Amino acid sequence: MTASDPLVAGERAEVAAEARVVAPRGMGRRAGGVLKYVALALGALVMILPFADMFVGALRGPADVYASPPRYFPAEPQWGVYARVFAELPMRTWFANSVIVTGLITAAQVATSVTAGYALAKYDFAGRASIFRLVVGAQMFPFFLFIIPIFFILRFAPLMGGNDIAGQGGSGLLGTYAALCLPFVVTWYGVFLMRQFFIGIPDDLMEAARLDGASEYRIFRSIMLPLVKPAIATLTLFSFVYHWNEFIWTMTVTRSAPELQTLPVGIYLLQGAFENLEQKSLQQAALAISILPVIVVFLALQRLFVSSDFASGVK
Amino acid sequence: MERRPKEFDPAGGGWAPWLFLSPLLVFAALFFVLPLGFSVYLSFTRWNPLGTPDWVGLRQFEYLLTRDTTFWATILNTFVFAFGFVVAGVPLALGLAFVFSRARGKAVWRSVYYLPQLTNIVAIAYLWQFVLDDRYGLVNRLLGMAGLRGPDWLTDPVMAMISVVMVMVWYDAGKNMLVFSAALEAVDQEIYDAATLDGAGATRTLWSVTLPMIRPAFIFVTITSFITGMGFFALILAMTGGGPRGATEVTALYTYRMAFEDLRMGRASAGALILFVIIGVISLLQFRALKERAT
Repeated sequence: MTASDPLVAGERAEVAAEARVVAPRGMGRRAGGVLKYVALALGALVMILPFADMFVGALRGPADVYASPPRYFPAEPQWGVYARVFAELPMRTWFANSVIVTGLITAAQVATSVTAGYALAKYDFAGRASIFRLVVGAQMFPFFLFIIPIFFILRFAPLMGGNDIAGQGGSGLLGTYAALCLPFVVTWYGVFLMRQFFIGIPDDLMEAARLDGASEYRIFRSIMLPLVKPAIATLTLFSFVYHWNEFIWTMTVTRSAPELQTLPVGIYLLQGAFENLEQKSLQQAALAISILPVIVVFLALQRLFVSSDFASGVK
Repeated sequence: MERRPKEFDPAGGGWAPWLFLSPLLVFAALFFVLPLGFSVYLSFTRWNPLGTPDWVGLRQFEYLLTRDTTFWATILNTFVFAFGFVVAGVPLALGLAFVFSRARGKAVWRSVYYLPQLTNIVAIAYLWQFVLDDRYGLVNRLLGMAGLRGPDWLTDPVMAMISVVMVMVWYDAGKNMLVFSAALEAVDQEIYDAATLDGAGATRTLWSVTLPMIRPAFIFVTITSFITGMGFFALILAMTGGGPRGATEVTALYTYRMAFEDLRMGRASAGALILFVIIGVISLLQFRALKERAT
């Protein structure tokens, strides 16, 4: 807790106020303090209940569903549902695809953001301002604008997937991991974030290394890169969470390629299989499995996540 | 062997910056400029992707804007969704950030409120489908226990829109809250001290010190939330599918279906461009309005 922490400020003000004012107002304040925690707890309940509802629902068996009236809490929790998810659904494929695609995209985004952010922050060259404007401006373009054109750019990629040089004849990059990853290889926000971090590092280090005869790559790799590790960690987490959960694009390009579907997409496109009341618990268990990896990663690394770093785009 | 510093423009680094930037430049060409251009071109054509695009000039725009009543209905739905999301979501996020900043155990509270942000949108949609189920959902069961008959959250057209807005607010609260928290923490303690010395009470301090200081964050959150709300259709697709009877069909979802279900690529591109222009104009107006009030 630092001196600039509003928490400290609040407490200080409260202490000062209580010393000055008469009892009734002081009591009002204390009641306000309790009320604050009651409100926070109620809010937290609203945040958690839908998740709890899913975990409870996953454990319901046919006996609970067909009871009259249907039981909310299962009489006998069906823990076997998690094994059934793997036995009855292509869960392994979905899971593997989620891991592969998220891994590839995250690695690519970190690499391109770090290099581009570094160039924009630490070199002075003609065109730098324009490229930076592009990076900032491109963030304003909503994704729905790109779905149709990028779909067909991949579809008609010359010489790919049986296409001739004019992009005709085959299926292009559709139906490959490339179609899932390529449109996300660069993240404008990530480039912007890394540039902001590199700007904060003094130029002296670079100049000293240059005088010592270090190559540009060496300066980047051995001197600058280690200094922005916290930013890299933040960006890695962001990319991981975002792309583990990505849905619209992946669904668009894998609708007819089940072997490439990720967890959210697979569960969504298989909704017909869950129409049956008994199958609902299977769906809920599958959803729980799709959420779990992110929550585990988040809990392990939450210190990084809630740091103010990633709001730095605002300032 | 002696190596000298670069002869020209030491900070320029010769070709080095261009090498570092090459992935970005290739990407910008292939996945930003090219698609935008292609999209504009397609909007002037009629194209079922099996054949070649037919140039039809402005006819797709003309059809959407003057004859397609569904298109206008989806525009209206888009506005209701986006404004509902901003009007309910931004004050809520700000309020949460305030309460958090003065509460013990900040990190724990924040993680709890951030939980939906970590969850894929399909799970979010289904979670709420279960909770809001007309007959056996958690909410209506609880209301039933209290002797009340809960509304048809997802099957009544008006309630369905309210439900998707509520879920969107629930989903996004944690993100905006963090932006506001960061802004609140960045306000210099000395300013608060000065205000206290000048005899400003808590309410006065809030209105005259804290809120003006976090105005940039407020503008940022309002505009980005609006842009998000106008273009976001994954939640609606998975939760209501645009129904019941088109009551939650937003324009982005409508054009998506036009493209990938009806295979009308030209018209869908035109629809997406119209939506994009509307979002751009309104964001600009919002930015102006919020900026001016600051001066």
